[in-house]
Amino acid sequence: MTNLLLMAGVFLFSFVIGYFLISRIPTLLHTPLMSMTNAISAVTILGVLILFSVTSTRTEQIIGSVAFAMAAFNLVGGFAITDRMLRLFKKKEGGVGNND
Amino acid sequence: MTETYSAMNLFLDFSVIGILILGIWLFRWPHRAKFGNLTAAFALACAAALILYRNGTQYPYIILLSLAVGSVAGYWVAKRITMIQIPAMVAFQHGAGGVAAFSLSLAELMRGSQHLGMMNEISGLLGLAIGSLTFSGSMIAGGKLSNKLGQTPRILPKHTWLVMINLIGIIVLIVAALYAPAGSRIFLYTLIILLSVLFGIVFSIRIGGADMPVLISFLNATAGLAAAFCGMIIENKLLISCGATVAASGSILTHVMCRAMNRSLFRVFVPVEESRQKPAVNDEQNRVAGPVEKEVRHQPVEENNFQKAVEIARKADKVIIIPGYGMAVAQAQFEVIDLSNKLLSMGKDVKFAIHPVAGRMPGHMNVLLAEAGVDYDMLEEMDAINPEFRDTDFSLVVGACDVVNPAAIETDGSPISGMPILLTHESKHVVCCNLDDKPGYSGVRNPLYENSNTVLLLGDAKETVRQLLENLSETSPATEESSGRDNPQDSKKEHLDSAITALSSAKKIIIIPGYGMALAQAQFKVVELASLLESMGAEVRFAIHPVAGRMPGHMNVLLAEAEVDYDKLCEMDEINSEFSQTDAVLVFGACDVVNPAAMDTKGTPISGMPILTAHDAKNIIVCNFDAKPGYSGVENTLYENPKTIMVLGDAASTAYDLTDALKAQN
Repeated sequence: MTNLLLMAGVFLFSFVIGYFLISRIPTLLHTPLMSMTNAISAVTILGVLILFSVTSTRTEQIIGSVAFAMAAFNLVGGFAITDRMLRLFKKKEGGVGNND
Repeated sequence: MTETYSAMNLFLDFSVIGILILGIWLFRWPHRAKFGNLTAAFALACAAALILYRNGTQYPYIILLSLAVGSVAGYWVAKRITMIQIPAMVAFQHGAGGVAAFSLSLAELMRGSQHLGMMNEISGLLGLAIGSLTFSGSMIAGGKLSNKLGQTPRILPKHTWLVMINLIGIIVLIVAALYAPAGSRIFLYTLIILLSVLFGIVFSIRIGGADMPVLISFLNATAGLAAAFCGMIIENKLLISCGATVAASGSILTHVMCRAMNRSLFRVFVPVEESRQKPAVNDEQNRVAGPVEKEVRHQPVEENNFQKAVEIARKADKVIIIPGYGMAVAQAQFEVIDLSNKLLSMGKDVKFAIHPVAGRMPGHMNVLLAEAGVDYDMLEEMDAINPEFRDTDFSLVVGACDVVNPAAIETDGSPISGMPILLTHESKHVVCCNLDDKPGYSGVRNPLYENSNTVLLLGDAKETVRQLLENLSETSPATEESSGRDNPQDSKKEHLDSAITALSSAKKIIIIPGYGMALAQAQFKVVELASLLESMGAEVRFAIHPVAGRMPGHMNVLLAEAEVDYDKLCEMDEINSEFSQTDAVLVFGACDVVNPAAMDTKGTPISGMPILTAHDAKNIIVCNFDAKPGYSGVENTLYENPKTIMVLGDAASTAYDLTDALKAQN
């Protein structure tokens, strides 16, 4: 039971912290934000690592490798595309939008 | 699976979470966000290393192989796609995340069904369901966003019920799986996955068009939630924490998108069900289905009538075409479509009104027109279009008789009394391209033919429509005095000139890019124009509406790709107060987000939606493809503003023309 409460606590705590962190992010960056959080949601890859830390049946191995490949796709693709996007956001040196 | 946490381990865990939070925190500043992204990636890499170090692994080759396959594919796709495809790419990635989540849940449930606690098991089952529906929902969303599936919402009969029954089914299966004997559980797990996949499909196919940003944000949240539930099965805090953060992020973005469109989440997911009118008169179909006698006795069409018809067509702003089965028999659909394209290119609003019994089977006319290449957005069902006839200047009837016969609603006792018809007679002018003026299959005389505002062009529809089109193309625009919208070539030049005058004297300019700009791939030309204006001494900024683009912040990415300095990208709230001091506003492919009707009128789909107050500026130059309403279907009152200059046509070429003309002037 204490374990359950702890888990629920971690969930709530992260949700609230995440909420406050993310509501401050400018709308300018909402697409890269979604793309990055999408990559973060591939943390399931850690779950697969844990799954594979003990002996698994053949079925588990197959399902696990599918999960691993998909999560890796999500993780690498997500961070890579976010990086590509963010590199596009440029700021010129010196005063911008000056009218003279 | 219980690990004894030493102080050191706890410290390491929190360090990883701390690095991750730092990464997200860095997203607050555009110039630090890139580092933030790498930081978050680094945090996850650390977490993976930590787990490997602590637990070791039994299957290094499986891991290496799947890692190689997944990352190479992910990296390859990420490098290849263009920025306009980002929403589709993100949707497909949500799908991959969904697969990973439900596969992991499945593996854990299969392994642990004997000794998992109740809560862990419930979490696992929820992870299974949410992961699967995220997968299928994302696939549908991705398909729609990449134009592989139709963009319009597809509504099945009793759609809301289907969704509800499906949902209840999933819940029942989850409960059953908790109490079922171990042997039959795997069967139930599979059923849960299948039913949830189905749920994701049924749920997302009826969301489309402008609501896509809400769907994609929502799927972002469910992907996070699925990951969090995966974490609950194995009681891993990092998984729960990351999943919850993503869920929070997705929820915020969903909320932002709904607010920006003035839609409630409920209305997005449960759109008002269209009453799918089944053909009311079934035997009408059979009668229509009979062979059409080829009449040889054409009376020659009076030249006079053609001139009248052309005159009507030229003056009209709003046109509805009513195709009947006679059109199909005459094989005139290609000519009709040429005509509709001509009218569209003249800046008119053209729609097709489809009566339920037009054609040989329900929906047949739609198929015929689709085959001839009509955009199905232009095809309107009877109930949807009937209220519009009143404001229509020109209705063109091609080979239809009974379905436009006002006797059906005006007289009693005739074979067609009570049959629902297209209210063509309410429009200002009607042109009938029918074979003859005899009654249709019902045998009831059509009083529409005798109305004073009806022009009859009798004869083979293919021939008459072609002739109409030719006359329309020939007529010299000089004889026309109406508003200038009628001739695109000349009026565009004229409007371009006034736009140039407004721009060259402007000191403060705001550009409003919409999704139309992105569709026309005009951003590079627009940015070029902006730099030119800047070099001429004007202050140029971009006003970004929250729902410009197909996902939150999409427009910023597209402009960043075109090398716009992000300092010049202004959010709606920040720039709205500045429009009144702005000399010129350039609208590129944006409609609903600058429609003052959102503020001025009540009861429209966009009423109350926050808009960019472009109408406050001294001059407004609208470079849209046409003057038709946007997704909302609400006429844009900005277009009628005396301060507005309409330069219609392809946004990229308009931007190019403007740039050229400005350069020539200097």
